Amino acid sequence: MSERYGFSLTTFSPSGKLVQIEYALNAVAAGAPSVGIKATNGVVLATEKKQKSTLNDDRSISKIEPITSNVGMVYSGMGPDYRLLVKYARKLGQQYIQMYDDSIPTVQLVRRVADVMQEYTQSGGVRPFGVSLLIAGWDVDENVPYLYQCDPSGAYFAWKATAIGKNHINGKTFLEKRYSEKLELEDAIHTAILTLKESFEGQMNEENIEIGVCNKDGFRKLTPSEVKDYLATI
Amino acid sequence: MFDIKTDTRKMPIEHHFNPYEMNGGTIVGVAGEDFAVIASDTRLSEGYSILSRENPHLYHVQPHTVMGSVGFHGDSLTFNKTLQIRLRMYEYENNKKCSTPAVAQLISTMLYSRRFFPYYVNTIVAGINNEGQGCIYSYDPVGSYEREVYRAGGSSSALIQPLLDSQLGLKNQGSFELSRSYTVKMSRENVVALVKDVFTAAAERDIYTGDAVFINIITKDGVFTEHFKLRRD
Amino acid sequence: MSIMSYNGGTVVAMAGKECVAIASDKRFGIQYSTVSMDYPKVFEMGPHLFLGLAGLATDVQTVSQRLKFRLNLYELQENRHIKPKTFSSMVSNLLYERRFGPYFIEPIIAGLDPKTHEPFISVMDLIGQPCISTDFAVIGTANEQLYGMCETLWQPNLEPNDLFETISQALMNAFDRDAYSGWGAVVYIIEKDKVTVKELKTRMD
Repeated sequence: MSERYGFSLTTFSPSGKLVQIEYALNAVAAGAPSVGIKATNGVVLATEKKQKSTLNDDRSISKIEPITSNVGMVYSGMGPDYRLLVKYARKLGQQYIQMYDDSIPTVQLVRRVADVMQEYTQSGGVRPFGVSLLIAGWDVDENVPYLYQCDPSGAYFAWKATAIGKNHINGKTFLEKRYSEKLELEDAIHTAILTLKESFEGQMNEENIEIGVCNKDGFRKLTPSEVKDYLATI
Repeated sequence: MFDIKTDTRKMPIEHHFNPYEMNGGTIVGVAGEDFAVIASDTRLSEGYSILSRENPHLYHVQPHTVMGSVGFHGDSLTFNKTLQIRLRMYEYENNKKCSTPAVAQLISTMLYSRRFFPYYVNTIVAGINNEGQGCIYSYDPVGSYEREVYRAGGSSSALIQPLLDSQLGLKNQGSFELSRSYTVKMSRENVVALVKDVFTAAAERDIYTGDAVFINIITKDGVFTEHFKLRRD
Repeated sequence: MSIMSYNGGTVVAMAGKECVAIASDKRFGIQYSTVSMDYPKVFEMGPHLFLGLAGLATDVQTVSQRLKFRLNLYELQENRHIKPKTFSSMVSNLLYERRFGPYFIEPIIAGLDPKTHEPFISVMDLIGQPCISTDFAVIGTANEQLYGMCETLWQPNLEPNDLFETISQALMNAFDRDAYSGWGAVVYIIEKDKVTVKELKTRMD
């Protein structure tokens, strides 16, 4: 290791802060907003997918990604960093299945992904990830839904509902008002769209938002036509 | 069958010939108070192939004596043929049929005569002795033999013998008394039913046992036969 | 002489009605010499989970210890009891890691699911090829004898007491016809809310 000059870039400031991680969080807060809401019978993930140029083909970009048959995730922050985490997460999910012949519990996947993110705050020659993740899962054993957030520091939290990325403070305030313990998945999808709409600039359509749902049947992304139907009812 | 070793140096080329083959098959013998039962499956195998599904391994050698012989089929046939000749010679020389205990002794002598090129066979003899009792004799390939109450031989012997210990010998059931009797107390019907059961069990797990069971019930009135179907896979 | 039968020993497991049983002999020998008569081959891996290992004694100990290590780590990490099916997969993976220099043991896993209490039995070869069975599983030097016994004595939906009688008779009569196993036996009957351990007195020859 000594010949590789493996020094960590994430170094404590005299006041005890890791400013690199704070910068990473800034990158997240500048990223496109994403929301997640846990309902009684499932979880919804939703995100904004607005492109800088109208010349971009929206259909080629996918922000919500399935990880295992019953877990999916979305991010706010830097797209390329997210791709790497998706690759890690999928691999961790498959490793678990190969080892235990059982689907990975959401919390286990979250912890393992968080471990990877933590490692990037302490390793040499790397920088922290510029993304926060929202991970939605259905626990086959307990038969309950889960929604987790995973930050660049490697910290993770379980939520009933949350928003990350640009305008996340407003998003969370909105969700606090709208959230109910008895919320069902269909209503949660509406609430998620409405939360995004709060800060959405321009016209929202099936091309510039993405929705993923997770319930007892597993995780699945909604097709643009399904998204269109939901938008029509708002 | 021919194993050829080649050596590039000036060694002579050796040709090995293996004179034996294992053709499978299972036999079970049980001695009752006034009857003896001997049964065999009817499968004949060579490796993973089935040569015959209807080849019992029993040889009716005397009116009240049946020999079961499994192992190398060629040796079983030859041994049986030679035994028949020896039994006919006995009849001519002694003016009587050979008794079951005498057949048993003869078989031992014949097997031992090939001590250094043995018949590759497992043998069980069942019959009625001069007292009208059922009797069973079992052998190793070189003629060591013993009178017994029940015995399983052949490819499924390891599967069946402990079962017979349990069901006929009543082993591990509280009594430590050594039985001095050479026969089981069980009725003919029950013995036959048990034999069918043990073969069904063996056919489940042993590929060299299956197709059918051929049962010989030997009483003073002669030999009665029964046929019972087993799985054929 | 196979290394698998160097020390001798045999294990059997059976499924019953809402219960499972697993039993082993107690002999530890070196070829034909019996060295110890108190050497059970069944290990408790959890409240409803038992592992039986037959084969080379040194590997029996190593594998049981390494599995306990992995199991403890799993249960701490996941904060729950392992399912027998999951444990079975764990055993299979551990053995396959030594695909080209295997542990000379064969395992049987017997247990009840910690939530549904469904009976579970699986058996593997020495490199971890698993086979989940609904009736019984046998391994060790008396495996042929055990197949014969189990195939006739076992029947579906045995109550715990009948299951105990069946597995005991199967094991005792099987190893009495095997020189490499015997010298006492231990039987575990695993039920939803109770595990019964019984030591069998058997013939010692």
